[in-house]
Amino acid sequence: MAERGHESLEHAADMGIRGWGETPAEAFEETAFAMFDLIMDRRGTEPENDYYLSIGGRDLTGMLVEFLNELLSLADIEDSAFVSVRIERLEDDGGEYDLDAVVGGIPRDRCRKRLLSEVKAATWYGASVEREKGGRWVAGCVVDL
Amino acid sequence: MIHEEKPKAMKVEVRKIGGFLWEIPRSGDMFVPGRIYADDESMRFLLEESRTKQWDALAQVRNVACLPGIVGASMAMADIHPGYGFPIGGVGAFDPGEGVVSIAGVGFDINCGVRSMVIDVPKERVELNRERIADELFQSVPAGMGSTGALRLSVREIDMVLREGAAFALERGYGVEEDLEYIEEGGAVDGADPEAVSPRAKERQLRQVGTLGSGNHYLEVQYLDEIFDGKAAAAFGLSEGGIVVSIHTGSRALGHQIGTDYQSVLRKASQKYGIPLPESELIAAPIQSPEGRRYISAVRAGINCAFANRQAISGLVRDVFKRFFHLSDAQIRTLYEVGHNNLKMETHETPGGRRNLLVHRKGATRAFAAGRDELPARYREVGQPVLVGGTMGTSSFILTGTEQGMADTFGSAVHGAGRIKSRKQALRDYRGGDVIDDLASSGIIVRTHSRKGAAEEAPGAYKDVERVVAIMEGAGVNRRVARLHPMICIKG
Repeated sequence: MAERGHESLEHAADMGIRGWGETPAEAFEETAFAMFDLIMDRRGTEPENDYYLSIGGRDLTGMLVEFLNELLSLADIEDSAFVSVRIERLEDDGGEYDLDAVVGGIPRDRCRKRLLSEVKAATWYGASVEREKGGRWVAGCVVDL
Repeated sequence: MIHEEKPKAMKVEVRKIGGFLWEIPRSGDMFVPGRIYADDESMRFLLEESRTKQWDALAQVRNVACLPGIVGASMAMADIHPGYGFPIGGVGAFDPGEGVVSIAGVGFDINCGVRSMVIDVPKERVELNRERIADELFQSVPAGMGSTGALRLSVREIDMVLREGAAFALERGYGVEEDLEYIEEGGAVDGADPEAVSPRAKERQLRQVGTLGSGNHYLEVQYLDEIFDGKAAAAFGLSEGGIVVSIHTGSRALGHQIGTDYQSVLRKASQKYGIPLPESELIAAPIQSPEGRRYISAVRAGINCAFANRQAISGLVRDVFKRFFHLSDAQIRTLYEVGHNNLKMETHETPGGRRNLLVHRKGATRAFAAGRDELPARYREVGQPVLVGGTMGTSSFILTGTEQGMADTFGSAVHGAGRIKSRKQALRDYRGGDVIDDLASSGIIVRTHSRKGAAEEAPGAYKDVERVVAIMEGAGVNRRVARLHPMICIKG
């Protein structure tokens, strides 16, 4: 059984993020965790509020970039730092994908000391969502810091 | 896909064509050659990266040369390092009729730039009070991830920010009227269309006008330690030992969201108009297409947002110094403000005659030579001040443009030292607390919201700014006017 996990990768002035799992949804969740870990020290935190996010698109890579950017802008608008994410649905409906997710956050005022860096955006640079030979899904891109 | 190791070697051919100038000869899909300002050591480093790492600034210079309508050359200044799509330090000018506008040539921090102010207070008084001044600035200027500004705006007011730029902040009581004359473009560009900016981008900005941000953004109190060009320094009102405050920030979340929103718009446009993409991040739209025009007017709104942001912060800084040292407004003067992530329609003399060009500068500063109408009357005889940030521990420079720079680089300059170590490498090599303590022992007071950020921004993570500037001066493109040494550094 493929494990799931995430990491950040060196990328010159910016940072690469990568997540993997058994399904595209798990790989998306893990990539989001990799991004959250750049923004905040999440160790030992519990979400205080839930937020809901839905996006649609035509390809998984585009969906990944949009998903990560939606998380960044939602966090700003809600003045929140995100610590958890669960993808409820990531379906291929005849070439059109739909994604629904629940994101757990903490108001920034209550976790300011844990905040690390601002991520400006998820970029298309090095962006991909692929299934490896072993069956594991791997997603990632470069984020602008 | 992102890999730690580069999957296969990709060869970029370079040849030296001047003391500090290298060329990637035109070949394959390139419309123009690539030109890189570097000394032998920097070029060895770039070639080594090109061979061994996945990221490759030289390949990025070459890729930009493949975009339709590019004029002259795809260029990189001496602070070149890998970005996404364009290299940082990259300059690309495009024909407004046949050319394209590329999102990677502007980046997500639209009109990120530097404002420098000359403060009429003796260096000794600042030295004696540096801890207290650092505390006051740290308390007064919102910095760090998720910080919010004193200006709480409505969407209607954000639309005003996007049209009016620095003047909006001035009307709200930040700064003085004279500031506007010493901001590039007078603190607002024409052609900004708030309608081209998404409601979400505006919503993200409601509480962010007047915030410094994090990462490499900073507020620094500096003293002038050496003058290289007496005539220009006199015109700029600079003297040895004088105090300068520099503010480095940009358009904050609004700029980030414009970049994000137009990624998908320009991606579709690239397909629609059949623009060949040498790499996925170099998405672009014809300048004359509806998508291209709309993106340009959104960028112009982002440019104005950054002008307003720096004006607001300059007002906060002004108030701290006025209060602390009992200064009058006349004793605090804006030296200049200039951006380094920009998209500008400019007139340039080219071998084919005088032309309007859309100039992308990604991590590169406009550096106009003497005589240009765009410059304030006071500086017109010596050229535009170019504000080049160093690191927390090293000097910053004030440069000016040259005639050769106008001809060779469309009037461009470096914007900083340029990163040499990845953030991850910097985190392995330095501890934030040690960085701050080391700087304190050499007399530089750092106040930061993030110790991790201090490690990422350690002086050793950057190229030697002295060398970067020497390359540009050696090539005749920029001229050194003065060097500034840091005393207090406020980081996000």
